Formats: sequence, C-alpha cells, structure tokens
Amino acid sequence: MIELRNVTKKFGTFAAVDNLSLSIPTGEFFGFLGPNGAGKTTTIKMIVGLFTPTSGTVTVNGFDTVRQPIEAKQTLSYVPDQPFLYDKLTGREFLYFVGGLYSIDKSTLQSRIPPLLEHFEIGAWIDRRTEEYSQGMRQRITIAAALLHKSKTIIIDEPMVGLDPRSAKIVRETLHVEASRGTDILMSTHSLAIAEELCDRIGIIHNGKLVFCDSREKLQADKNRLDGTFESLFLDVTNT
Amino acid sequence: MYLLFHIFLYKFKASLKSVFDVRSVSVVRSVGSFLFYCGFVWGVYVSTRNITIYVLHQTQIGLYLYHRFLEMILFIFFIAVNLGNIIVSYSTLYKSPEVAYLMTKPLPSVSLFVIKFFDNFFYSSTTLLFISFAALLGYGSCFEYPWYLSVAIMVFVLMPYMFLAACLAAIILLGIMRVAGTIGFRKIMGLLCLIYFGFLVLFFSFSNPVLLIEQASRFYPNVDRYFAQLPIGAYQYLPNHWVAEFFFSMTRKDYTAALCSETLLLAVTAALFALTLMAAKRLYFKTWLISLQIQSNRMSEKDGGRIRLFDFRKESFLSPKIESLVKKDFFLFFREPSQWIHLLVLLTIAGTFILSLTNMNLNIRIESMQFFTYLILFAFSGFMIASLALRFMYPMCELEGKQFWSIRSAPVILEQWFALKFILGFLLVLTLTELITWAMNIPFLRYNPRGELLSWFGIYAGFWLATAMSALNLGFGAFFAEYTEKNPIRAASSQGATLTFLSSLLYLFVFLAIVLLPLSNYFQSLFHFTKFARESIIVPGTAVAVLSMLAGVWGWHVGLRSLKRDFLN
Repeated sequence: MIELRNVTKKFGTFAAVDNLSLSIPTGEFFGFLGPNGAGKTTTIKMIVGLFTPTSGTVTVNGFDTVRQPIEAKQTLSYVPDQPFLYDKLTGREFLYFVGGLYSIDKSTLQSRIPPLLEHFEIGAWIDRRTEEYSQGMRQRITIAAALLHKSKTIIIDEPMVGLDPRSAKIVRETLHVEASRGTDILMSTHSLAIAEELCDRIGIIHNGKLVFCDSREKLQADKNRLDGTFESLFLDVTNT
Repeated sequence: MYLLFHIFLYKFKASLKSVFDVRSVSVVRSVGSFLFYCGFVWGVYVSTRNITIYVLHQTQIGLYLYHRFLEMILFIFFIAVNLGNIIVSYSTLYKSPEVAYLMTKPLPSVSLFVIKFFDNFFYSSTTLLFISFAALLGYGSCFEYPWYLSVAIMVFVLMPYMFLAACLAAIILLGIMRVAGTIGFRKIMGLLCLIYFGFLVLFFSFSNPVLLIEQASRFYPNVDRYFAQLPIGAYQYLPNHWVAEFFFSMTRKDYTAALCSETLLLAVTAALFALTLMAAKRLYFKTWLISLQIQSNRMSEKDGGRIRLFDFRKESFLSPKIESLVKKDFFLFFREPSQWIHLLVLLTIAGTFILSLTNMNLNIRIESMQFFTYLILFAFSGFMIASLALRFMYPMCELEGKQFWSIRSAPVILEQWFALKFILGFLLVLTLTELITWAMNIPFLRYNPRGELLSWFGIYAGFWLATAMSALNLGFGAFFAEYTEKNPIRAASSQGATLTFLSSLLYLFVFLAIVLLPLSNYFQSLFHFTKFARESIIVPGTAVAVLSMLAGVWGWHVGLRSLKRDFLN
C-alpha cells in the first residue's frame, strides 16, 4: 500500500511535484501516466527513497519513507527507467548481490533464482558480465532482481522503453502475474495501450499535479465523452 | 583546420558554462576551491622562498649545488607529468565516449587526437602548472626577478618543459597501444613498469644525491669549487638539465648561456610535438581500433558458471548484506584493470621505498642532520599515504556510479555502508602506513639503539595519519561525487580530488608542526645521552590525536551528509 499526502518536491524554485495526494491500496495495479517532465519519475524516486520530499509524507506499507526508510524499502521493489547495472558483475552475481541487500539467505536464493532465469529467458547470458547485455537483457535482469524478495509493492518506471517485442511480452506477463498474486504495483509508462491493458486504475500527472485519476471502467466512460480513444482523453487532460 | 577550431570553440563554450554556473552549490564550491587554491599557492610560494634563502644563505651550499638539486627535482617533476599524462590520456584518447562520437564525424583522426591531447594536457597538469608557477615566483623573489620575468619563464620554459613530457607520454602511449595489439595489454603494462623503474634507478645512479653531498662537502664551505671537479655526465642530454642550466645561467646573469638552454628546450619540444603529430597520424585511428578490440576481448572472457574464490554462491560468516557489499567491491576492483594495475604499481613503489629505507646509511654524526632526515622521511611517508588514500579511497563513492540506485533503494543503512567502505580502504592504507613507518625507523634505531620511542611514535603517528587521511579522502570523495565518472584515475585527478589532496597535505603540515619540537628534543637527548622527559610528549601526542580526529570526523560528516542528498542520476 502506498500513500502520498500533500507531497511537494521542489528543485530550487521549480516544483516538480506540487501538493500531490494519492493512495494505492493493497493489490491494486496503478498506472502512472503523464507527458515528459510531468513529475512521474520524481514521484517514484520519492516513494523508493532516492529523493526526499520538500513537504508532505510518503508511506509504503505503513512505513514513512523518511522516518522509517529501511522498513519501507524492505517491503518494496524498484525497477528504474534506466537499468544501470554494475558492468563488471555477471547477471548471476548481480542477482545474488541484490538478494543479499534484502538479507535473503543463500539456500533461498538458490531456489528462487533458477525459475526466474527460466521465466525471463536469460539462459547462458546469466554468467556473462552485464556490460555485454542489451537494453532488453538488462531490463530482464533488473526485474528478476526486483522479484527476488517477493515484496508487497513493486514500483516500476517506464518498463517498456527500448524493449524488443519478446522482452516486452515477458515483462507484461510478469507484471500481470504479480498483480494477480495481490502485489500492489505502481507503473509509470508512456504507453497508453499497456496502461489500459494492465492497470486497475490510472492517474495522469501534469506539471506536478494529478489531473486525472480513475478506474479502468470510469476511464471508458470518460473516453466516450470524446472520440472514444485514450489518446484524445490524455491530450485533453494534459492540454493546458 | 576549420573543424578543429569549431570543436575547440564549442568545448570552450561548454567549459565557460561550468565555470559560470550560478547554482548556489556550484558557487560555494568554486569560491571554496579558489580560496583553497590561493592558500596553497601562497604556501608553495612562501615555502620555496624560505627554503631557497635557508639553503643558499644559512647552509651556504652554493648556487651550483643548489641548481643540481633543482635538476633532480625537475626530473621527478618531469616523470610525474609524463606518468600522469600517460595514465589519464589512456582514458581521454581511447575510452572517452566523446571520442567514439566524434570518430563517426567527418573529422581526420589526427585533429581529434589534437583536441583530446590538449584536453588531456590541461586536465592532468593544471594543478602542477599552478604549483610550479607559485614555486617559480618564490624562487624568483630570492633573485629579485620582476613578476613579469617569472610569467615569461613560466610560459617559455616551464610550460614547454611540461609540454615536452606530455608529448613524450602521448608517443609512449601510442607505441604501447600499437604493441598491445600484438602481445597483449597486460604484458605491455608490466614491461612499461620495468622500463620506468629501470630508468629511475639509472638516473639516480648517475646523479646520486648522497654521492653529490659527499663529494661537494669536501670543498665545504666553498662548495662551488666542486663545479670545477665535476665530470660531464650523461644527464646533460636530459631536458631537466637544460631547464636547471637555464636557471643557473640566469642567476649568474649569463644570458647567452640561458638563451642557449632555452633555445635547445624549445627546439626539442617543437620537434617532439611534430613527431607526436606524425605518430598520431599514423597510429591514432589504428590504436583506437585496437583499444576497442582489447575491450571487447576482455568482455567476452566469460566468467563462467564455475564457483570461484569469493563467489557470491559460497557461504560466508558475514551477514548477507555485508557479504554482498564486500564481494561486489572485491569483484569490481579486481575486474577493472586500471584499479589493480595501479595498486600493483603503487605497491611496487612502496616496497622499493621500504627496502631503501631499511638499507639506508645514516652514519651521520651531525645531530641536526639525523633529525632533519627523519623529519623529511616522515613527511615523504605522509605524502605517500596521502597519495594512496587519494587514489584508492577518494573515488570509492564516485565509482558506485549510476548503479548506486540499487543500494540507495534497498534496505541498507547508509551509515553502515559508508563505514564498510571506510574499513575496506582503511585496512589497506593502515597496513601500508604501519609498514612504511616501521621501515623508516629501522636505520635510525640501528644508529640509536636507545631510541625505542621512535618505534612507538611510528606506530602511533601511522595510526592517526591513516585514520585521518582515509576518512578525509572517503568523505570528500562522497561530497564531490557526481556518480558519472567510471574511470578511477580520472576521478582521482578531478578538481575535487585535488582539493582533497591539498587538504591532506595541510593536515600533514599541521601534524608535522606539532611533532617538530618533541622530535627535535628527543634526537638531542639521543645524541647527548641525556634523559628525555617522556611526559613532554603527552601534550603533542594528544594534540595529534585531536587534530586527526577532527580531520577524520570532518571528512566523515561531510561525506555522510552528501550521501543522504537526493540521488539525481
């Protein structure tokens, strides 16, 4: 469960996120949309603890991310928009490294890693250094690492950027499975189709403010008010 | 040529933007850096002036001998510029993404080489340029040179001298890369280390400072008469000799001889630059392709599914978090050639230093000489430790890079992570520090069997030096970290690194000032067989501990605060 209360993030005088309030209940798949520079990544970075809010509070599964960062981080998984990995480590070493950070013991890791490798079709690449990986393979390893500790919440930033259709399909299926298991997911994306396909609720952020937030069913009604496409609705609500 | 100027213009514009960055953090940093630089430059100026006056008027070693020592310092300076340029230019010329980008443009490879060569020269030599200019002003003030003469000497003598070292570095690097394509990079690096080591041994065999003092002392106090006795050595063909000769001729107002040395230096520099361009025209693009090949060969070395030493799959007595972080750092360090090669080079230098210390002949029955030798050796050891901490501890945070998100977003307590980094680096620095201080005491104890207090001083001082310098370097490394530099050598030669090094030297200077008097008293008591009041070291000993703790805590605090900032990458 994620809860943002009156969250503002300023860089100098510029407010990247402006008094944002949002609640994502347990088990919900939330799609976070918005034009470039709207404040999606900034919001996500505040949730995962990479940024500190200028004002307001962020809680993840009941833990304040500023006052109880370790407890909050223990319950969530983060997949960044750019899957930067330690170049000189192999994929397998990276998975063990991340597993260790979440205090997972060796025997658990040994049982959890092989199914993930199979699911993400990583194959022989697992023992090669990540500096050799393509964008898609990096993304697969990053998502596999995020699933290692079976967190309650997954935060995923632009998961489809630069992926080939095969990788995109694997990622989509994985998120679908995780959502059906009751994991709450916050996914930022530019792909309206994917948001419509996967998410229970969709929020649109523009200039740091939440300008639209509704369930998939209500979204349909809103679309029908215009020409029936999500694209028109998106352009309508983000047209200032 | 037009393209060359076009690129230079845009690089200049980009650098101006960073110089005139008006963000408050940048302004504070820039002003701080400027003030610190000014302070340091002032310190170099005053020290050079005082040392020159002391050596020429108090000890009266004479102008000739003074300039022979200057020649040796200039040789070390040449090697420092040369080595610095070789190491940094490998990254600038071969690993820079800018080069890879510009290689796709219709630009002759030699033009690209020229851009990166100058880029590299000014990047790796800026601090040395400042320091040498301050030293020159200090030296010039002793001989009543007007300031503009010092500026002219800087531009027409010292800068060409440094440029010569940089040209030689570029030629050596092009040669290395060409040969590396045939026999492999590791072998060529080993060979280069051996050649450099051999060259250093050869130079100091030809111009041994101890031998020089012994021979010249026979004529004391008229040491300039030694001049007439001196045979002409092979070192007259080295550029440091021409520069030293230039200075010597200027002090004697023999302007014709000075002009001869200057002309020789400029001619050789111009010739070597032309040779560098010719070599670059022939080899740069070819060697750039070789560097790509080497990098891809290294990448395709499969690390394999087999379980190796320190493998992540192996059980460990450490907690999973600590184990993960330690193993990650271990693999990243030993899989990056610039890390382990540099460590090997520094360990070789430290080993040579330790060996020469243990075999040092200190049979000098002059009380002040033994004390000064001890002080100089201690200062030099401190300098080595500062360099070691700068090279290996300063870049630790920066090298986490953009991948740092994986640690920052994980349930890792930053204080613990920072402490772990500190311990890993500190163990290396402390071990080497204690070894050096132990070795340093051996020759003194040989001639002063009653001087067991020196051993305790070595252990005590070594501990505090290692602690303070490790914390300062790690902390300042975190403070200046932007998580974008992948090359540890470039990270350790950035502006932040320079400021950190100067801070370490300032700390060392205060440290030395505190221990100066008690050490001097101790040596006096050893020479005159008088009793040394051990209580008199309590106050300076405590002062040293307090100073080191303050420096360490400052570095720690600054670093940890910076780590908690937003991770913008």
